[in-house]
Amino acid sequence: MQVSGSIEWVMVVNLIIWTGLFLYLRRLDRQVRALEASQEAPALEREP
Amino acid sequence: MSRPASTWVREAAAVFAKEWRSEIRTRYALNTLALFAVNTLVVVSASLGPLGAAPGRSSETLPVLLWLILLFAAAAGLPRSFVHEEETQTATALRLAATPSALFCGKLAYALTLLAALEALVAPLFLAVMNLDVARPGLLVATLAAGGFGLAAGSTLVAAIIAQARGKGTLFAVLSFPVLLPLLLLAVELTRGAFAGGGAPGQGGFQGGLGGAGVALIQLLLYDGAVTTAGLMLFPVVWNP
Amino acid sequence: MKKRTAVFASWLLWLWLAAVIVGAFEYAPLAAKFIGQSSRILFFHVPMAWAAFTAFITAGVYSVRYLFGGRSQGSPRDPRHDRAARAAIELGLLFGVLATVTGAVWSRIMWGAYWNWDPRQTSIVMALIFNGAYLALRDAVEDAEKRARLAAAYAALGLVVTPFFFFVVPRITFSLHPEPVINARGRVEMDPRMLQVLLASGAGFMALFFWLHDLRKRVLAVADRALEAAAAGAPTHAADPVSTSPRTVSQ
Repeated sequence: MQVSGSIEWVMVVNLIIWTGLFLYLRRLDRQVRALEASQEAPALEREP
Repeated sequence: MSRPASTWVREAAAVFAKEWRSEIRTRYALNTLALFAVNTLVVVSASLGPLGAAPGRSSETLPVLLWLILLFAAAAGLPRSFVHEEETQTATALRLAATPSALFCGKLAYALTLLAALEALVAPLFLAVMNLDVARPGLLVATLAAGGFGLAAGSTLVAAIIAQARGKGTLFAVLSFPVLLPLLLLAVELTRGAFAGGGAPGQGGFQGGLGGAGVALIQLLLYDGAVTTAGLMLFPVVWNP
Repeated sequence: MKKRTAVFASWLLWLWLAAVIVGAFEYAPLAAKFIGQSSRILFFHVPMAWAAFTAFITAGVYSVRYLFGGRSQGSPRDPRHDRAARAAIELGLLFGVLATVTGAVWSRIMWGAYWNWDPRQTSIVMALIFNGAYLALRDAVEDAEKRARLAAAYAALGLVVTPFFFFVVPRITFSLHPEPVINARGRVEMDPRMLQVLLASGAGFMALFFWLHDLRKRVLAVADRALEAAAAGAPTHAADPVSTSPRTVSQ
């Protein structure tokens, strides 16, 4: 292992960024699913 | 096809004739193209000085200028043929009366002749004002023809698209630039070869001499064919809902 | 895709790309003839460029399907294809910008210049301009049907013109792009471990693209449905707050 400022830090930062991005996308997925579900439900109650 | 070929040809010819008749009445496009081209030419020539560009550089840089002049003049003058239809609402009548593909060909033929007239004006002026000797005039003529064709075909389709949108002038430039770029790159390369002859490797001329020029010309013709075919197939969709 | 499968797949993707990141820095060797650690950028720059071009092709294909796809006379076109095309264009812009920036940084490190109109650089820039023009066109048309139709036509035109960038532009200048994978001799000449990481990264970025594409499509669909509900709700339920107004579908 080398001193800080080495290439390992770049790797760690990359991992952190990727994980953050991933969690954000998961959250987005959940939100969109919720919206899709809420759009389905009123359609059943809506009059033609 | 529901209509016989002769009717189709007559339709296309009728569109072509109508375009020119209204053009001769107003001379709008001709004036725009000519004035724009001449103005640009004057600016280029005057800023390069009385002796033109330095001799060694001229065959590299001047072809670019020539094609930029043609491109910008076309962008100024060609879209009007569709935009005017939409603005004066004659487009509705056309949608009822004409087969889309015939309409496209009529408009394309009009754009081609307009561009041919433009090139006939600009190219000799350009050569004269820039004091250029053309090493291979046949190649220059072929390039102007093939390049002009592609310019007209691409512009006609894009004009049909933007005529139904807002911000027509700038939108035309924005949309047509990426479409026309391969054509411009090829045309400039070929024009360099026409000015300079077979010699300079790497930057300007063709490594393969005439063979290299032949390949580029074929690619240009392929481009022309591709864009025209795309126009024929996409125009009906653009024109009618 | 069922929710549980989708969640599992997404975590798998996380793991996969995390492994790629680690592999890029620990497992893969440095490439010869590259300055310092800079060759590591390859594992991200190249897959992003692949994703950008995939996005471009995807948009073109969906646009053609939108325009011409198996409709009987008079039936309306499928807005899902239009949304898919638009989402792909947006992602193409995203990945393209990322690929261009990483490539420019790398070019600066290796050859001292950010840009030199290398054929691949030129073609990615052209694709970016195309994508931008597509979005500009969409912004310029108010009517929804016309907007989808015109945009699709433009994307289809782009699909036709793009091959010329790949065959035309390379002839004109010589390329600074290294040719380790696809070269004139047709053989793969990269170190095997580098190749493994590169291909793994490529697969990961493709999967990421499709996931992002799916998400974006769904967001656009939700928005479209909300707009339709608002338009349908307004005339019949004028001021009724408990109707099928947008408030029930907004967040």
